[in-house]
Amino acid sequence: MKDWDRLITVEEMEAATNTLLENGKKVGADSWQQRVKNQTPHCGFGEAGTCCRICSMGPCRITPKSPRGICGCDVHGIVARNFLRFTAGGSATHSDHGREIMHTLHQTKPDGNYQVKDPEKLIRIAKEWNIETEGKDIYELAHEVAEIGLLEYGKPFGTQRFLKRAPEHTQKLWKDAEIEPRAIDREVATALHMTHMGCSSLPEALVRQSLRCGLSDGWGGSMMGTEFSDVMFGTPKPVDTTANIGVMEKDMVNIVVHGHDPSLSEMIVHYANDPEMIALAKGVGAKGINIAGVCCTANEVAMRHGIPMAGNFLTQENVVLTGACEAIVVDVQCIFPALGPLSKCFHTKFITTSPIARMPDSEFIRFNAETAGENAKAIVKMAVENFSNRNKDLVNIPNQVSKARVGYSVEAIVKVLDGVANSQVDEFGTTKPLLECVTSGVLRGAVAMVGCNNPKIRPDFAHIELMKKLLENDIILIVSGCSAQAAAKAGLMDPETAKDYCGAGLKRVCELANIPPVLHMGSCVDISRMLILASELSKDSGLPISKLPVVGCAPEWMSEKAVSIGNYVVATGLDTFLGVDPYVKGSSEVCDLLTGEHGVKDWVEANYTVETDIEKLGDLMIERIEAKRAALGI
Amino acid sequence: MTLFERVFGGNDAVYGLTEAAIDNAIAQYGESQAVSFPDTAYSLPCYYAVTGVKVGTLGDLKAALGVVKTLMTRAPRLNDAFMSGVATALCAEFIEVLKYINGATPYEAPCYGHVPDAFVRNLGVPLVTGDIPGVAVILGSAPSAEEAVDLVKSYQSQGMLVTLVGGVIDQLLEKGYKTGDNVRVVPLGYDVTAVIHVVSVALRAALIFGNITPGDAGSLMKYTMERVPAFVNAFKPLDDVIVACGAGAIALGFPVVTNETENIFRVPKSLIVQEDVSKFNATSLEARDIKIKVTKIDIPVSFASAFEGEIIRRGDMQVEIDGSRMDCFELVSTKEAAEIEDHKITVEGPELDEIPVGSKISLSYTVEVAGKNMQADFESVMERKIHSFLNCVEGVMHTGQRDMIRIRISKADFEAGFRFKHIGEVLYAKIKSEFDAVVDKCQVKIIVGEEQNKELRKHANEIFAKRDDRLRSMTDESVPVYYTCIMCQAFSPSHVCIVTPERLGLCGAVSWLDAKATNELDPQGPCQVVPKDRCIDENLGRYEDVDEAIFKYSHGALEHVTLYSLFQDPMTSCGCFECICGVEPVSMGVVITCREHAGMTPLGMTFSEMASMTGGGVQTPGFMGHGKQFIASKKFLKAEGGLGRIVWMPKELKDQVREKLDAAAKELYDVDNFTDLVADETVCTEDPEELLNYLSEVGHPVLSMEPFDM
Repeated sequence: MKDWDRLITVEEMEAATNTLLENGKKVGADSWQQRVKNQTPHCGFGEAGTCCRICSMGPCRITPKSPRGICGCDVHGIVARNFLRFTAGGSATHSDHGREIMHTLHQTKPDGNYQVKDPEKLIRIAKEWNIETEGKDIYELAHEVAEIGLLEYGKPFGTQRFLKRAPEHTQKLWKDAEIEPRAIDREVATALHMTHMGCSSLPEALVRQSLRCGLSDGWGGSMMGTEFSDVMFGTPKPVDTTANIGVMEKDMVNIVVHGHDPSLSEMIVHYANDPEMIALAKGVGAKGINIAGVCCTANEVAMRHGIPMAGNFLTQENVVLTGACEAIVVDVQCIFPALGPLSKCFHTKFITTSPIARMPDSEFIRFNAETAGENAKAIVKMAVENFSNRNKDLVNIPNQVSKARVGYSVEAIVKVLDGVANSQVDEFGTTKPLLECVTSGVLRGAVAMVGCNNPKIRPDFAHIELMKKLLENDIILIVSGCSAQAAAKAGLMDPETAKDYCGAGLKRVCELANIPPVLHMGSCVDISRMLILASELSKDSGLPISKLPVVGCAPEWMSEKAVSIGNYVVATGLDTFLGVDPYVKGSSEVCDLLTGEHGVKDWVEANYTVETDIEKLGDLMIERIEAKRAALGI
Repeated sequence: MTLFERVFGGNDAVYGLTEAAIDNAIAQYGESQAVSFPDTAYSLPCYYAVTGVKVGTLGDLKAALGVVKTLMTRAPRLNDAFMSGVATALCAEFIEVLKYINGATPYEAPCYGHVPDAFVRNLGVPLVTGDIPGVAVILGSAPSAEEAVDLVKSYQSQGMLVTLVGGVIDQLLEKGYKTGDNVRVVPLGYDVTAVIHVVSVALRAALIFGNITPGDAGSLMKYTMERVPAFVNAFKPLDDVIVACGAGAIALGFPVVTNETENIFRVPKSLIVQEDVSKFNATSLEARDIKIKVTKIDIPVSFASAFEGEIIRRGDMQVEIDGSRMDCFELVSTKEAAEIEDHKITVEGPELDEIPVGSKISLSYTVEVAGKNMQADFESVMERKIHSFLNCVEGVMHTGQRDMIRIRISKADFEAGFRFKHIGEVLYAKIKSEFDAVVDKCQVKIIVGEEQNKELRKHANEIFAKRDDRLRSMTDESVPVYYTCIMCQAFSPSHVCIVTPERLGLCGAVSWLDAKATNELDPQGPCQVVPKDRCIDENLGRYEDVDEAIFKYSHGALEHVTLYSLFQDPMTSCGCFECICGVEPVSMGVVITCREHAGMTPLGMTFSEMASMTGGGVQTPGFMGHGKQFIASKKFLKAEGGLGRIVWMPKELKDQVREKLDAAAKELYDVDNFTDLVADETVCTEDPEELLNYLSEVGHPVLSMEPFDM
C-alpha cells in the first residue's frame, strides 16, 4: 500500500552529503562529521550530568568512591542544578529572541522598514491584555503593546499575561505547584541564583524551577516572539514551497539565510526581489537571486513567503559545500562557528549581523531596526557582487528537492477545520472537527514533533522513521524547527503524495481537508503555537490537556533551548518523549522526578520518557496514546 | 463502546447470518447450484469489483465468504473498520443473491431489488452533465410519513436520484407518493441488505466508466469517492449492522447523515448527526460537496430534471398539443437584436383556461434569439434542447420535434395556475441560462389556433428543409475541423470522443454542431477544436492531429485512434454509448445491439456483456460503442467495407434507423431495403449458423465482402 520509495531517503541524503564532503576535501574543508570523530568518546561525567564546575573549588566529579562534591552536594543536587542551568540557558535564548521582536514592533512605522501586517491579530492580543484599542492608530497601539510586552520581561509583580490562554485546569495546576512564571528575566535570574554555590541542592526544588523557567519561555518569551512576528510579518497560512539541498540554483546568486529572527530574513527576502538588485544580478551573469533558508529562519520565511528550505541544523555546512553559495547570512542561535573557516575555503561570504552572535572569520554588518533596509540591501549587493568569484569547477548541487506545503499556524489549522465542518450542524472557528476525528478513532491522536539534529542520532533518521511509523498508525503530526525540515526534505509534507504513506484514517482526513499529514507549524519559538492548539483542544473538548491523546517528542534534540521547551511542554500537560538523554542519567532521583509516576507528573499530570532506541521510542508513544484513549473510553 | 467496536460487532452479526444462509442453501440445493443476479455482466457485481473473482455457484459463494472473512481484521484502526464495512456490504450481496436462487423473483413493485446494467449505463451522461447532481440513499423510517415525503421531494426537485431502503418505502406508499425510476425515486427493498443494490450501481459505474480493474480495491474506492456523488441518510435507530454498513459507505466516500444521537460518534464530512430531518437535504449536499444548478423560473409548478421521465396519462390531461393531427411546431430563429424585446412572451389566441378540457389543439412556439456570437447553426442545437426543457416541468410531457411535437399539460398543472405563457417563461429562462454565451436577447411567440399555424408551419418547414440540406452537405471532408468531447471524463477519465459531422458522439447526444456550439459557448470546455490538416490514411480516418489530440486529452492513456475502423485503433468508449457493435466471425459481419435490448445476440452475449468488453476509455479491437445515428453513416466501419457489414440488429433498432440506413446502403452498394437483409431477434437469437442461413437466403452483401483483416 505504501510506496516509501517516493520519499527522499536518509540514505540518499547521506550519499548527497558525501559528494559534498568530497567537494570539501578538494579545498581542505573541515566538517562536523570529522569533528565528531575527534570529540568521541565524550566525557562520561559530562554526559551523566555529574560534573560540577559552578565554583572554583572544583571541578568536582561524582563517582561511587567520591559521592559528594567539596561543598557536600550529592549527585542529585549536582545533576538537578546542571539541568536547571541548561534550562535557563534555553529560556534566556528563546525569550531574548522574543524581546528583539518586541523591540522591532516598537519600531514599526507606516512607511518604515517594519509595518503591522496583521492588525486584527494585534487588536485581538491588545484586548486580551486589557489594553484600550478604540480610537487608537494601529501604530500607536503597536508601540503601546510592545512596551507592555517588554515589561513582561522585568515586571516586579504578577505572572505572565499569556497564562490566561491556558485552560483553567492547567492554570490551577500551575498555581498549586507554584510554578506560574513571573517576569521572564526573573525566572532566568532565579535559576542562576538557585544554582549558585551554596544555594539549592534539593532536586525537587531545582526541577520545579526548571519547569517554571521553561514556562516563562513557552508562555512568555517564545509566545511573544511568535505572536508579534505574526503581527509584523503576517500570520502564516498554507503555502507551497520546496525543500532539500537541490533548492540551491546553479545559475543564480544564492543567498542562504540562517538563524532564527525573521526581522533579518524578511528584509533580505524583500531586497532580493528588488528590481535594482535583480538587474545587478543579471549584470554579473546570473539569472536572478535565489534565497534559501537553513534552520528556523528557513521555517519563518517558508511559512510566510514560500521561500525554499535548503536544509536543517546538520546540513548548514552543506549549503556552503555546494560551492554555489554567494553568501550565508546569519543572525542568532544554532550557527556553527565552523562556517567562518569553511566559507574561507570557498568564495562564500559569511555575514554575521547580530551583536549576540559574533564569530571569527565573518563579515559583520550590524543589523538594527532603524537601518534594516540599508543593511539588507548592502548584504544582497555584497552577495550579488560575489557571484563572479564563484569557482564553477567546485559547484556541486545534489539534485534532491521535495515539494512541501507549509504554514499551519493555529489560525490556519482552524480555517482548515472550518473547511470540513458542516454549516448545518457545526459551529465554525473551533478545533471540534479535529476532536471528532480523534474521538471516533479515525485519528488515533497527535504527536508534536520538534527539535534539532544531533550527531548522537543518525541525522534526520529518527525524525523521519518515527513520522513514518506514526503516520501508518493514523497519528497526525504537528512539527516545527529542524524536525519540520527533516519531514519537508524527505517529502512528508508533499500535499499530493504524502497522504499515501498514512493509514486509512489519516489518509482520509488529508483528502477531505486537503492537507499533508505532517503539519508545519513553524520555527522553534513557534512551539508556542502548539501550546495554544493544545489549549484550544482542551477547551473545545472539556478535557484536561493531559487526557488528550497527544504527546510531544524531540528525538534528535541538542540545544539548551530544547530542554527549556521540554520543560514547558511537560508543564503544560503533554507527555514528552526524548531520543537523547538531557544529562540527567547520573541521578536516580532526578530521573524519577522527570520520568517517574510521582515527580513532575504529580504536579502537572505529565512527564518525560527518555529512550535512545528510536524504534522503541515510537512504540512507547503509540502505547501512551492508546492508553490515553482507553482511559477516555474512545 | 467505541465506533470501531460497533462496526466490528455489526460485521460479525451479518457474517454469521450470511454463513448460515449459504450453508442452508447448499444443504437444500447443493454446491453446484447456480447463483446470479439478473441482467448483469458482473456477477456478483460488488464482490467481483472488490476481488476480481466472479461467483457462479453456491460453492463459489461459500469460497467467497472465506475471502470476506480475511477482510474482517480487528485492529483499532480505520482501515480495519473500513474493510469490515466492505465485508458487511459483501455479506449483504451474498444474502441478496440467495433470494434470486433458482430463478426466483424476490422483489415486486414498487421495489426493484437488483437493478440491471442498463440502468447504470443510463446514469452515466446525466451524472456527468449534472442533470443528476447526486444519488441519495435513504435508509429506515423517517420520524413521520410527511417528513419522508418532504425529504424525498426535496431531493427530487433538485434532480437527484433517490433510492430507498426499509420503512421509508411504506411511508411514501401511505402518502400515495409516486415512485419509479422514471421519477428518479427507486425503492430497493425492505431489508437493510437491499442497500447493496445501490452500492452495486456505484461499483459497476466504476468498472464501466472508470475502467477500474476488478480486484483493484484501492482504485475502486478512490473512484467512488472522487466521482460518484452519493450519500446516505440513515434514520434512527441505528443498530450495529447499520453502523457497519455505514462504515462500508464511508469507505467508498459516501457520507452518512443520521438523526441518531445515542451511542454515535461524529466524523467530519463522513458521519454527521443532524437531528432536524428537514435539514437532511442541505446537510447532505454540503457534506458531499454537491452543488445544484439553480435557475429560478417563474412558473406555478416545479421544474427539475427529475420530472423528465414523467408520463401524463390521457385521463390526467388538460389539453394536448398534437403535431401528428394538427398544425404545430417548435422553432428557434435568429433575429437582429433590434427586432427583439428581451423576455417578451406573447400568446396569440385563446389561453389555456379558454379551451375545453381534453382538447387536441394547434399550437406553435417560436423562440427568437439575438446575440453577437449567435450563429444560425446553433438554432437546431437549441431546438433539440426544448424537449428536455419542457419535460422538466412537473406535469408537462413533451415528445417529438420540429412539426411533430406532442405536448400534454396535466389537469393538476392547470389547477395550479399553469398557462401557455409559462411555456414561454421556461423556454426564455433555459435558453438564456444555458446559452448565455451566445444569446443576448430572447423572446417567445406562442400562437394558438388552426388558421395562423397552417401558414406558419409551411414557413417553418422551409427552414427545416434548408437546415437538412446544410446538414446533408456537411461531411467529414467538407468541414475544416473536428472536435473533441471529453464531457464524460468526470466519469471516465481517459476517454476522448472525436466528433465529426458523420460520426456523432457515442452517447448520441453530441453532434458535430453541438460540439461546435459547446466550443463557442465555453472555449475552455469539453469540446476542443481538432485540426485535420495532417491526414495519414484517409480510409482508416487516421490523422496526426487526431492522435495528438487523443494523447493530450486522454492524459497520455491513448496514442492512436482511427475514425473509421473497428480493428485498427478503434475509438474508445466511456460507457454511455447508445449501441455497441461486435464482430460476428462466422459471417464476417458485425452485430449491433442497443441499450434498450435486454435479450441475447448471435455473439452469445447481451448488450451488458458486450458493453463490459469495452468502455472506460480502453481500446478493444472488434468491439466499439457508438451512437444510433452513426449506423446509417457512410463512414460507419468504412475501413472494413462500411455499413454493409451489419448482419444483425434488434428489430426495434432497425425500425429506428431504417429510413436512413436504406438510403445509405442504396448509395453505397445499390441495394434496396438493406435493413430487411439485416437479421434480428425474430430470425435468430444466438445461433450463428441460423444467422448465416438467413444471410444466404436474403443475399446479404456481406457474403461477397473480403474477410476481416483481423
